Amino acid sequence: MASRALAVWRNRRVVGLLVRRDLKVRYQNSILGYAWSMLEPLAMAGVYFFVFGLVFDTDRGVPGGGDAPGGYPLFLISGLLPWLWFAQSLGQAPAALISHSKLITTMRMPREIFPVQAVAAKFVDYLLTWPVLLVFVLALGGRTSAEGLLVWLPLAIAVQLVLSLGMTLLLATVNVLVRDVERFVRILNRVLFYGSAIIIPSALVLESDRFPAWFVALFQFNPLLGIFKMHHAVWYPADAPGPLVLSTSIGGAVLVLAVGYATFRRLETSVLKEL
Amino acid sequence: MGETGQTVIEAEGLGIRFSANRGRRRSLREVLVGARRGPGPRSAFWPVRGASFRIRRGECVGIVGRNGTGKSTLLKLIAGVLIPDEGSVEVHGRVAPLLELRAGFNGRLTGRENIHLVGSLHGMGPGDIQARFDEIVDFADLRGGSVDTPVRHYSSGMKVRLGFALVTRLDHPILLVDEVLAVGDEEFRAKCYAAIDGMLAQGRTMVLVSHSEADLRRFCSRGLYLKDGGLALDDGIDAVLGAYQADRCADPAEHGDAEKGTGGGDRAA
Repeated sequence: MASRALAVWRNRRVVGLLVRRDLKVRYQNSILGYAWSMLEPLAMAGVYFFVFGLVFDTDRGVPGGGDAPGGYPLFLISGLLPWLWFAQSLGQAPAALISHSKLITTMRMPREIFPVQAVAAKFVDYLLTWPVLLVFVLALGGRTSAEGLLVWLPLAIAVQLVLSLGMTLLLATVNVLVRDVERFVRILNRVLFYGSAIIIPSALVLESDRFPAWFVALFQFNPLLGIFKMHHAVWYPADAPGPLVLSTSIGGAVLVLAVGYATFRRLETSVLKEL
Repeated sequence: MGETGQTVIEAEGLGIRFSANRGRRRSLREVLVGARRGPGPRSAFWPVRGASFRIRRGECVGIVGRNGTGKSTLLKLIAGVLIPDEGSVEVHGRVAPLLELRAGFNGRLTGRENIHLVGSLHGMGPGDIQARFDEIVDFADLRGGSVDTPVRHYSSGMKVRLGFALVTRLDHPILLVDEVLAVGDEEFRAKCYAAIDGMLAQGRTMVLVSHSEADLRRFCSRGLYLKDGGLALDDGIDAVLGAYQADRCADPAEHGDAEKGTGGGDRAA
């Protein structure tokens, strides 16, 4: 595995080229392209604020109380932007190899480049959402802490990168051989969105007695729960994940990467024949 | 380095197995049912098996054989874009692949952006691309500002010409060519021939897959004849083409068949 990682590192220029190509295509070198790409999360935030903030009054569940700096609107935005990163990674993951089939069957290069490139491109998209997040932080009076910026933010990003890479390796490989993957991914995307405390403060599930114990346990075994609690903890220290959630999150991400890479290596020969 | 006669491509007992339902993504149900039954022996065949040969620097070798006898598969194994199931193939030096000429192009980027992108993917430095940019545009015949329009507006001929122009500007010592000399009009084809002649004159090594006897005789000195999944003959190009013709005449079933013959390769040569 180390030698393959080294091979990808030696081809980092190619990864960079493909990432830059994706950005160029996505934003078409224009401010308007960027504005378009931000419209979706903003519209989503508006809708969820209406439904959950106003209609269902979720404010009472915001970590640190309803009058925590930033309130429910910042909680929404600070969850939705990294969620968008995850959802787009997951949505694109099945295509990571198939969409480059001509390149893969013509040019010899380590095939890991393509999943890595897909993950990197989505990560850059996420970094570009930060200006919008900061506007909301300023406008809503959000506050962070040293722990939030130095521990939870880098850890959230690192764990999410590991999970995205594992997921992309796995789905991209399987999708070349089996055709139901894309459909499955669409359903998974929806389930994980509501199942991962992105717009719902996790306390509403974890500290409620309305749910059976097995459900609460299952809820905590979702690696995304910890990742998004960390994203939220940057602005809401009260949302910092405990040891159980933190370990299922890190452990889950590492496990997905291990399974994804093993699948990729095992099926690489067949994938090349099918592309 | 650089001495004629040095081996640059070395295949040893090379073989690859395809399953019969290749090229068709299965549904999850089929995969699960198939896994329980286990892969039947009928469902696999070897388009290439037990092929051993060496190609020396500066040689131009033509691969000859009927449709579906693994010519392109062999080329892809040499290019390193397929992994063999048996044996090995070693290639010393970078490969310029004239296999799928549109590989790497992005329809939404302009011709100019694509030249920089695909050139870099093939390992050209920014300086090289700058220096050869006009040459590439001239060769591809992208007149009247079309180099600054998105490639999705190009005709398929323009795309293929651009791909050919780019790959033939590479300095890589090994050239793999799959049936692409048949592209474009008379004038462009003449330019392609001249470009290949020029590269061969520089002492580069070429492996060519073609159905055109004229092309094979023009460029190649040596031929590899693939038959029934194995390497049947490795000899001078005239001898190889002679054997191929003799087999074609001897086997009347061959006449008029275009896509058949993919299943006949269970025997190792």
